[in-house]
Order: sequence, then structure tokens, then C-alpha cells
Amino acid sequence: MENAAQLFLLLALAPLVTGVIRTLKARLQTRRGPGILQPYCDLGKLFRKGMVVPETSSWIFAATPWVVFFSTVLAGLMIPMVAAEAPLGLFGGVLAVIYLLGLGRFFLALSGMDSGSSFGGLGSSREMTISALAEPAMMLAIFTVAIGAGSTGLTEIAGAAIGQHWRFLAPAQMFAFAALALVLIAETGRIPVDNPATHLELTMIHEAMILEYSGPYLALLEWAASIKQLVLMTLLINCFWPFGLQPTWFGFAALEGIGWLLAKLLLLSCAIVVLETVNAKMRLFRVPELLAVAFTLGSLALVSTFLF
Amino acid sequence: MTSLLNNLRECFPEQIRAVEETAPGQFTVLLDGPDATEMARHLMSGYQARLVTVFAEDRVQVEGVFYLYYVFDRPGDPSWLILKASVAAENPTFPSLAAEFPAVNWQEREIQDWFGLEAVGHPNPRRVALHDNWPDVHPLRKDFPLDTVLPPFEGERHVYRPAHGEGVFHIPVGPVHAGIIEPGHFDFAVAGEPILYLQLRMFYTHKGTEKLFENLPIQRAVFLAESISGDSAFSHGTAFCRAIEQASGIEVPARAQFQRTILLELERIVNHISDAGAIANDVGFVIANAHAGRVREILLGLCETLTGSRMLRGMVAPGGVRRDWQRTQVEAIEKTLKVVQREFRDLVAMLQSSNSTRERLQRTGILRAEKASMLGVVGVAGRASGVDLDLRRDHPYEAYRHLPFRVPVYQAGDVRHRLLVRIDEVSESIQMVRAAVTQLPDGPHRAPTQPIPPDRCAIGAVEGWRGEIVHWVHTGYGNCLERCKVKDPSLNNWPAIVEAVEGNIIADFPVINKSFNLSYSGTDR
Repeated sequence: MENAAQLFLLLALAPLVTGVIRTLKARLQTRRGPGILQPYCDLGKLFRKGMVVPETSSWIFAATPWVVFFSTVLAGLMIPMVAAEAPLGLFGGVLAVIYLLGLGRFFLALSGMDSGSSFGGLGSSREMTISALAEPAMMLAIFTVAIGAGSTGLTEIAGAAIGQHWRFLAPAQMFAFAALALVLIAETGRIPVDNPATHLELTMIHEAMILEYSGPYLALLEWAASIKQLVLMTLLINCFWPFGLQPTWFGFAALEGIGWLLAKLLLLSCAIVVLETVNAKMRLFRVPELLAVAFTLGSLALVSTFLF
Repeated sequence: MTSLLNNLRECFPEQIRAVEETAPGQFTVLLDGPDATEMARHLMSGYQARLVTVFAEDRVQVEGVFYLYYVFDRPGDPSWLILKASVAAENPTFPSLAAEFPAVNWQEREIQDWFGLEAVGHPNPRRVALHDNWPDVHPLRKDFPLDTVLPPFEGERHVYRPAHGEGVFHIPVGPVHAGIIEPGHFDFAVAGEPILYLQLRMFYTHKGTEKLFENLPIQRAVFLAESISGDSAFSHGTAFCRAIEQASGIEVPARAQFQRTILLELERIVNHISDAGAIANDVGFVIANAHAGRVREILLGLCETLTGSRMLRGMVAPGGVRRDWQRTQVEAIEKTLKVVQREFRDLVAMLQSSNSTRERLQRTGILRAEKASMLGVVGVAGRASGVDLDLRRDHPYEAYRHLPFRVPVYQAGDVRHRLLVRIDEVSESIQMVRAAVTQLPDGPHRAPTQPIPPDRCAIGAVEGWRGEIVHWVHTGYGNCLERCKVKDPSLNNWPAIVEAVEGNIIADFPVINKSFNLSYSGTDR
């Protein structure tokens, strides 16, 4: 039951979050924007379209959308969204989430090179450079939280957080939060790391890897990207702002949990939108410096758990 | 200019056949034979003269020769000097200057492609204006009829310079691009992210404009001139009309001169503001672009009020402008500029206060001053790299001699300084338009038109927002043109992009390219 509910929530909510972020961004730029439901329409359109597959590509090109989509959904089922108890909580801890996302990224990078386009290779190499630096920072931040909970199981982490609403004001928690927030920006391809709205192939990272995809495959990849964004955002808010997180999926509690989740997502979206609007994109070679900051913050977080 | 001409007569007594003032302030020196190189060297080394443009004309049917024209100007002298060398039809070759003066590299190759005259000693004599898969035709020759239909040809025979090495590869971009831009092919050789070198290929939108001008009635030719580069419609139109006026001695009424000046400056303001936004957009600072777009829209509305066209088309005409302005229209300029000035100040503040934007623009795409002057870079890109040229000041035309203004020049030559040149010029232009509005004289807005006398040659030069636009016309019989040479500033500036991107990372190319913002259509003609 809760499996199905969370699966539905993941699949249905992810495009909405993307749509909300885009619309908020448009409003902040004095544009009207296409409306928050546009990502659903885009997905619907792409699923109905035909596909062009590069002649030079191998099975990797066809397998990647599925691998990326299912690994991301699986990762999504392992994190606590509405209730501390994640549907696949027993299946693996936070490390499994990180590596499921890593698996998807690995295949994306492969398919970028597999398509034979020079942009794909460019995107793959950039993505790998960035994720190789983002991953350790993410680990450190997560470990900080895990140490507090005494477990790397996300259910335990979230469970331990329930009731300790103001815990995130502790230095270790704040460092870890900042580190994870930077990783979130890098991993979801947002300004200042990547520009999700650009049409300039030469500056793309994530978009460059999926440049050769079209039709249903592209829909799967776009959907997966939205879900990944939702997963990382949920991870961030539920680890650090456990307000309204319910112990279990049960009746009205679940509805209340969903309400809290939506409110927190909206708040985080607003923060992302403001950050994206007031900043220009970084020069590509400065991105490692940003991630080095994230890594340092993660290290500080870990150290300060033992100090305080 | 007299002393210069006397000096030329002394130094080259054998070579000079005649000296003539073909139009007011335009001196044509007719040479014996096809070799203008010695004199060009003399002018450039001894007089700091600048080779503005090189082009050819087919006079085989009338005089049995091709003519080559070398247009020079020099600092502090408002006149033009044109060397006219003849190339015999039996021996269609001329000595190349490209090895010493890379600024003429493409222009000499255009002459090769369009006229079939061989540039002897050109370091890279491959085709440029007609692609390699074209049959062996020379469309600007008079014996090539305008309605010629060539047999279909296809395939790509162009060979790019290869790049070798560990981790070195090519990234082909274009000719069709994402976004609303024109076609051009960029072949990057990269080692990882850093660009080793860039090879350009233009002329995908070659429309044979110079051929189309020939035999076109002059009234219609104005519209053709306006469509050479859509974003510089008024500048190109004005340059063309000025050439016609100079050739036929039409006096433009004072009111029309001021009207033209106001519109030229409005075109500059519109395009500079939209470029400032576009540069910000390419580094992901979208909000500045949104603001710039809004300000641009206000200005386009003003353009429509003044001329009936948002892009200022259909306004300029030989002898003046097509429409007079009512008092309310003149008042609209003042009113709109007040709003634009305030909005623009906000935009500049936004761009200047964004550290992340400055960080991206600074030291990106540096075009060094010596490279810029070597390549003959003009306009905004030149002024950001220490090339102090501005036709409004150096060859004053229309009402510019009555208006005080400052020409911003920077030495750094990076993207940020190209943006700063634009920002400074917008401020100057707003002041100029205001001054012009207060001084706007009464009177007719257009001189009565008369048939254009045949066989006259003249230059019309205008500092468009992108840089100097030069039109050279040779009038023919029946109010038609014998030849019209069009030189858009983009033609000189494209090779400068190649220099500016070297050593930068490929992700920065779009913003470097945008900071030049060159016209493909104007280059390709």
C-alpha cells in the first residue's frame, strides 16, 4: 500500500516540482512562463512521438533510459517522503540510494559517448568530472546525519530526526545541510553549475549527454531527471527539516505528511529559484571549486559531530 | 590630403596615371597596371593609413580591364583615398597583400571567387565566398547573367585543418544552430575543454546581393541595401543612400540629416541594449536579459512611432528620409528616452553588481590590441581592443559634426570590455539623440529626386552599431547601378573571433561569440 502510494507520489509529483520551479523562475524574470503543468504535457507529447536512434549507437543507447528511470525510481522508494518509514527501507540504506543514482549517471555518461556525437562525449566528461567531486561531499554530509542516528538506514535516520525539529541549528547539521544543498545544485544541473534552460550545446552538461535522445526515450530521461531532483530535494528536507514527518503511513497522518512535504518542497523550490535568478552560471572550471567547498563543509560537519 | 597626393606623385611618378576627386573628399588615384602593393605599403607604413576595403569591378566589356579598388583612410583626415589598379582581361592576376595585411585575407579571396582574378602570393588561396562544391563560375563578372541557373551540385569538399594528439578531437558545430541565429560552421579542435584552434566557415547565406544591385533601379536598391543585415537595416540603407548622394551631388536637407542621425543612434541603442542582455543570458544571468528585452521593446515601439517599422525599414531614401515627423512624434523621442535612460541605468547597475557575471566575463575571450589592429577589426570589438576608430568622429557625416560625443576605447579586449563599450556608447547615444532633438531644424525632409548621373563613383560610409559600414557605388545609365560594393563590419571581425577564443574553454565560446555579435547575412551578402 505505502509502496504504491510513494511510487505514485514520486511519479506524479516530480514533473510538478519541475513545473513549479520553472514557473516561479519565469515570474521572477518578469515572464509569464508556460504554467506549472507544462512538464506533464511535455512528457505526454514525447511519449506519443517517434524516435530517431543514431546509426552508430549500440544496445547501451536503448538500455540507458530504462536503467536511468528504474534506478532513480528505486532510489526514490528507499527514501522517507511522507513517513519516516520508507517503502524499501529494509532493502538498503543511504549508500544504496547514492549508488543507484550513480548507476543511472554511469549509464547516462556511457550513452552520451555511445551516440557518437561530439557533444555527448563532451557532456559525459563534464558530468563525470563534476559527479566525482560531488559524490564524496554528499557522502560526508549524509554520514554526519547517519552518525547522529547511529545507522545508515534512512528509516532510522528519519525516525531519529522526528521530534527534534530544531536540531538543524546545530553546527554539524548546518554544515552538512550546506554541503548537501551544494551537491543538490550540482546533481540536478542547476545554475550556477549547469543551465537547464540553455539552447547552447557547447555549455551543456546534463543536456549534452541526452542530446541525441528523442520521443519516449527522451520522455523517460526527462522524467527520471525530475524524479532525481525530487529525490534529492526530499532527502535534503527530510534529513534536516523533519517538520511534519510522520512515523508511519497511516490515514490522516499520511495526508498531513503529504501537506508538510509539499510545503517544504515549495520552500526549497523558492530558494533554488532565487539562487538561480541572482546568479550567473559559473565558468566550468570553477565548478570543482564550488564542490570543494561542499566537500570542506561536509568534512567540517563530520568533524563537528564529534566535537559538539 | 594634398600633401599626401603630392608625395605619392613624387614617390611613384611612373605608376600614377591620374588623380581625380571622384566625389567630395574622395580621391581616386588611377594606377598603371595591376600592382598597387608598393603604394599600399608606402601608405600604410609612411602615413599610418588603414586599408578599409579591397574590391574589384568588371569593366571588360567597356574598357577591356578589371579594376581593383583599395580604399584607405588615415587618422585625422576626413577624406578617403582610393587606389584604382587595372587588371588586364588576358592576364587575370594581381599581387596579394594578404600575407602582410591579414585584414584583406577574405576580401582578396572574394575577388578570386567572384571575379576569377588570381591573388598571386596569397598564403591561403582556397575558396571562401563560393563554397568548394560550386562549379567554376565567377558570378560578379558581367558575362555571368543574373538569371543563370547552375546545374545542381552537392557534397562537401571543404577540408579542415586536422588536429592530432592524445585526447585532441574536433567538435563540429553548425552550420545550423540551436536558437534563432543564422548559419555558419565552426570547427573546434579541442584538447579536453581548452580550444586549440577554431576554423570558421561562412557564406552559407550568400545571396549574391552585390550582383542583385547591378541593373536594379535605385529606388528599389535602397530596400535591398536595408535587407543586407536585418539588425542594421537603417545603417546599411543610410550608407547606400549616402553613396548615391555623394555620387550625384544631392544635398540632403538639414532636417533629414538630423532625422537620420537620430535614427542611426536609436538603432545603436536598441542593438547595444539587446546585446548586453544577450551576453548576460549566455552566462545564465537571465534576469538581466529579461530587463534588456523589456527596454528593447520600449525602443522598438518608438522606432515604429517614428518610421512605421520596428526595425527602421523603409525610412531612408536618397535625398533624405521618406517621412517627416509631427511635433508629437518628436516629443515621443524625448519622453521614451527618459524612461529608457532610467531603465538602462537599472540594467547597468544589475550587470555591474553581479559578481558572478563579472567573474565570467572578465579575461574571457581576450582579443589583444596588436591582433585587433593587424586583422583590421572595426567597431565595438575594435574599440574594446584599443582600435580607436569611429566614422562618426573620423569622417563626420549627417549631423554628427554638430553633436558632442565621446568614443569609448578600452585596451583589455575581453568580453567584459566589449560589454563596457556598448554600455558607454548607449549613454553617449542617448545624450546625442537628446541634443539632436533639441537642435532639430525645420524645413524639408527630402531633397527633390532627380535621375542619377551615370558613370560616377562614390563611397558612402556609416558607423553602424556593429562598426563601419562602407558602400561603394558606380552609377550606370537609366538610374541604375553598374556596381555596388558592400562591406559589413562583420567581414573583418569574424577572423578576430578565431584569435579571441584560442586557449579559452569551449563552454565559453557562446558568450565570446555573443560579445562580438557579428552578422552572418552581412558577411555572406
